[in-house]
Amino acid sequence: MVSDITGQLKRVYPDIEPEYDSDSSTEDAPNRVGNVPMHWYDDLPHVGYDMNGKSILRPARGDELDKFLQTVEDPSAWTKAFDKNTQMDKPLTPEELDLIRRLQAGENPDSSYDPYEPMVEWFTGKGKEEVMPLSAAPEPKRRWIASKWEKQKIMKIVRAIRQGRILPSKPKTASDKPAFYAIWNEPSSAHPPAMPAPKPHLPTNAESYNPPEEYIPTKEEREQWEATEREDRERDYLPQKYSALRLVPAYDRFIQERFNRQLDLYLAPRIQRKKLNIDPNSLLPKLPSPSSLKPFPNYKSLKFTHGKGRARCLSVSPDGAWVASGDEGGIVSLWEVNVGREVKRWKFDSKICAIEWSPRQDASFFVVGMYDKIHFLIPPNLSSILFTSTQSLLAPATLPPSTQPTVKWMSASSSSPEDEPILTMILPPGSGAPKQLTWHKKGDYLASVSNSENQGGVWIHHIQRRHSQAPFTKIKGDVQLVQFHPSKPQFFVATQRYVRLYDLAEQKLLKTLLPGIKWISSMDIHSSGDHLIVGGYDRKLCWFDLELSEKPYKILRYHSRAIRSLQFHPTYPLFASSSDDGSIQIFHARVYNDLMTDPLIVPLKILRGHNITDGLGVLQVKWVSRQPWLVSAGADGGVIVWCS
Amino acid sequence: MGRIKQKGKAGAAKAYVTRSYAVKRLQCTLADFRRLCILKGENSNHSQKTKGIFPREPRHKKRANKGSTAPTSFYYAKDITYLAHEPVLKKLREHKAFAKKISRAIGRGEWSTAKNLDENKPTYRLDHIIKERYPTFIDAIRDIDDALCMIYLFASLPSDGRVSPSLIENCTRLTAEWQLYVMHSRSLRKVFLSIKGVYYQAEVMDQTVTWLTPYQFTQNVPSDVDVRVMLTFLELYQTLMGFVFFKLYTDSGLVYPPPLDQNKDDAAAGIGAFSLQEVDHKVIAKPEKAAPGTKSVSSKEVRQTIKSIGVNASANEDADMDVPQETTESAEIDEEFVPQTSASDPNAISALPTLQSISSLPQAAPTKLFEPFTFFLSRESSRPIFEFLVRSFGGRIGWPSSVGGGSPFAESDDSITHVIIDRPLVEKPNESAEERERRLRRKYVQPQWIVDCINAGKILLEDLYAQGKTLPPHLSPFAARAGAYDPMAGPTREELAAEDEGAEESQEEVSDVEGEDTDKLTLAAAAVMATDDPDSLRAAELAAEAAGIEFGEFEKEVQKSHKKSKKKEVVNEAEGEDMNKMMMSKRKRKLYERMKYGERKRAAENSILEEKRQKISKEKRRQAKG
Repeated sequence: MVSDITGQLKRVYPDIEPEYDSDSSTEDAPNRVGNVPMHWYDDLPHVGYDMNGKSILRPARGDELDKFLQTVEDPSAWTKAFDKNTQMDKPLTPEELDLIRRLQAGENPDSSYDPYEPMVEWFTGKGKEEVMPLSAAPEPKRRWIASKWEKQKIMKIVRAIRQGRILPSKPKTASDKPAFYAIWNEPSSAHPPAMPAPKPHLPTNAESYNPPEEYIPTKEEREQWEATEREDRERDYLPQKYSALRLVPAYDRFIQERFNRQLDLYLAPRIQRKKLNIDPNSLLPKLPSPSSLKPFPNYKSLKFTHGKGRARCLSVSPDGAWVASGDEGGIVSLWEVNVGREVKRWKFDSKICAIEWSPRQDASFFVVGMYDKIHFLIPPNLSSILFTSTQSLLAPATLPPSTQPTVKWMSASSSSPEDEPILTMILPPGSGAPKQLTWHKKGDYLASVSNSENQGGVWIHHIQRRHSQAPFTKIKGDVQLVQFHPSKPQFFVATQRYVRLYDLAEQKLLKTLLPGIKWISSMDIHSSGDHLIVGGYDRKLCWFDLELSEKPYKILRYHSRAIRSLQFHPTYPLFASSSDDGSIQIFHARVYNDLMTDPLIVPLKILRGHNITDGLGVLQVKWVSRQPWLVSAGADGGVIVWCS
Repeated sequence: MGRIKQKGKAGAAKAYVTRSYAVKRLQCTLADFRRLCILKGENSNHSQKTKGIFPREPRHKKRANKGSTAPTSFYYAKDITYLAHEPVLKKLREHKAFAKKISRAIGRGEWSTAKNLDENKPTYRLDHIIKERYPTFIDAIRDIDDALCMIYLFASLPSDGRVSPSLIENCTRLTAEWQLYVMHSRSLRKVFLSIKGVYYQAEVMDQTVTWLTPYQFTQNVPSDVDVRVMLTFLELYQTLMGFVFFKLYTDSGLVYPPPLDQNKDDAAAGIGAFSLQEVDHKVIAKPEKAAPGTKSVSSKEVRQTIKSIGVNASANEDADMDVPQETTESAEIDEEFVPQTSASDPNAISALPTLQSISSLPQAAPTKLFEPFTFFLSRESSRPIFEFLVRSFGGRIGWPSSVGGGSPFAESDDSITHVIIDRPLVEKPNESAEERERRLRRKYVQPQWIVDCINAGKILLEDLYAQGKTLPPHLSPFAARAGAYDPMAGPTREELAAEDEGAEESQEEVSDVEGEDTDKLTLAAAAVMATDDPDSLRAAELAAEAAGIEFGEFEKEVQKSHKKSKKKEVVNEAEGEDMNKMMMSKRKRKLYERMKYGERKRAAENSILEEKRQKISKEKRRQAKG
């Protein structure tokens, strides 16, 4: 039909007739719930509502057997699909079936699409060619005239060939030099020659094809070799023995080994190392031989055994004839150093923590520390003069006035049996067993350390006045040990990490020593008063020269377990240390009077004789004052005398 | 106040560069960079500190890598700038351009362009690198061990896609040239047949050169080996060997390269295919050329002619090998150096060793060991090895035609003195009288005999190495470390004594039970030991006599107590050492411990071997008895 406006043909579509059929809305699903999840209606009798708001009842659905029977009976059952909206099977329309078939066959789903439309020729064929050119520019001259510049270039080459400057077919070898010539005839550069690559090791007898029989690995050696990683093997081959040369096979890792060598050559940095060709023994320090430093204890003379419990502590009398030792069972034994005969035994009800013999010459007694109490004991068989002077010291007829409420001094009543302690100090409640007891050199003062909270548990007791005082009202750190200076009014206090030196007269801190030990276990001062040794649970032993520095002069670390006890010999230049590894080590420690010479420390002897029980070894060592003898108490309950 | 220092402008950040930066800086691929590193290797062209192009380990990785601690390899920045001027790098870049061009030409089908390009392919030479790495000839000789090993390895490889046949051919040629030189100069010293291959040691220009050759089996290149790296090394080594051989050959008056007889080579003559030529173009193998041209004859020429005739006579005997050894011997005797003593101090001058005194000294290595013998190689022993060995020590050797052509004589030759045979003994039932006679005249030895003779420097008894015999162990000729286990040392006196002691001790136990006498005696002996001086010994002797103890018994006791005290001393010493160790500084102690550890380890190894040997010998003795 011709358009009125353009005068062209135009397509005319049929009019839309507003009939009943044309409205597809009536064919819509009766269920008007919309696109909601249908499982909302799972528990309800209906499946939705129709246009009028009436509920649509759920259609009856057969069980699986019914479904199966239906598929068998009804040949067109496969064309049905479940309609969620109405909750029932609906047959598919033929169009839908066709669509499914097309999709299955991989065809275009649109049935109206024609993939083989006939070609429409637009520009070929007669009368359809484009006759007009795209550009109207005239043909340039260069299209048909030879280039002048090209000619000039070519002529240049031609002239060069004519004059022989360019050889049209050069000989194939790139250079005119011969392949090899006397390269080293010319003088070499002044640079120093490079470091040569290290040569590989030369083969040993083990690599022979026919080695002596002892080189052949045993079965275990072979297995071990095979089990180790290739990099960790000491040898990269297993020795083998062949009876004849013709039987020797090819070495299977030949190329790999060559390759590894090359990797070493080009990847490994080369360093020149000086090889030490010295006797290892020349490294040992030149110390005087131990035999020239005799006497020192070197053998076990006798052993005194405590029946039950560890022998915790011991003390040797100032005259060197008696030993008092205490164990954890509460028994204090007094015995002779020379023969080991027990003279007397005291029994207490708590474990003995410390024993210390009084250094006084005019009185003979020792103190025993145990839970909350310190007892004063007098050994038997004293000469009558000594006994009376001791008794007058400890239990005088007229008691000084009691000034101390915290520490109670209690004398034994005259009616009590003889082996009762003559004097007892009762420490303030909760202070526990004293860790350490130590006497001032003159024997007037006794210091005790127990674990009390605020003032460090340190008490200094004056025997004659029966007076106890706590020198510190408050102290930083947990006090481990205390020690009186042998000649000056000074007082060493070892906390867990530091050793502090106080002046008792002026009541002030003099210096703090830094041993660098994590936990101090033991300490002793040399009789000159200038040197201090400190031992720790971390196996270190520090020697301090008090004149020199606050840092240790020497740190020795040779025990394999924690150090328990240390002591200088009062007269001989010796000191001993004992440890949880069950050994006692004896050192020669010579101190010189002039300030220039360093003290000489020579390790002398390791004494072994104590057994380790429950991880504890030798708990205390003490020297016998006039002999180079040592007494040691071990956790195995034995107390051993070591003699020279 | 000075300038503010910027981060990353000085110190480690400047001195080190990472590998990826180096590759970027040199504008080459990683493969090319690796190749350059291999080729340049050690260099000494600048400061002492940098001694080669290989990865360095900076002291502070973080500082060198601009704050990053990622694992990278570092190089000296100076090394990289030095590499940037390398002519080989330029050639490598040219080659890259060439590869692009030729692939484009081939892709376009422009065959003539491609051909043209291929003809002008850029190639590089390594002369300057050789000269740079080895400034003197001695440096080069010192470093040819690895080169020889590689060339011998590649000479035995089959050719495939990665390894071209021409490369293998070149390697084979180089090995032959080296062997010819070693045989000619008689410089082979030691040989060792190991399970890995054969080790040879030669002395060239006073440098020991050791190389390892695989046994003659086909080697396959394993997959975990980077052949490119090996080929780059080989490229360098081939050039190096070329220059070294040129120098060695020309120094000994020979033409390099030695001409190859293609016919002989095709017949698998091996090194026999090459002929050594003197520099004045007289082929030794052809005696007719050596005849003097009759022109103006001077006395000098006459002398030379006589010499060359002598030479050719010997050459006739020995195919193409022997070149005059006598030349040095027949050299005119020079005037002696006479040390002039000074009047004042006649003892002041010490005479220096002169050339004459040195040459008159007996030669350290017996290079003419096999000169009186003629060998025949049976077909199961490796020809290249034994031909080289025998001829290096002046022997003549022949072989059956089945192992290659060029044998100078046949098996029936009467001059054969030894047959190298590696077969078990088999009796021949039908042996002609002639064969039998020949068999009895010759000595049949196993191949190990040759090697052991060379290492011992003398002719060993053939009986031990006779055909079918169990061979004595083959030991390494290379000097072992001092104190290493020596398998040839027999059981020492101490050991024998220890064995006796074992027997004695059992007796002792019996005697201990006997009675009080012995107890007394031990006491006396102990007393002697305590004082340890001759007087007390005498006194104790007398006391023993008085007690009625026999002298022999007394002696025994004294010895026993001696031993005991010795043991005690050892224990004491160990303890003293322990105590001394405490007083060492930590550093020294660690060093000491390390040294002691090594000592102990070596001692343990030795003792294990010793124990095994004793066990084996005991077993053998028992078997011999039973």
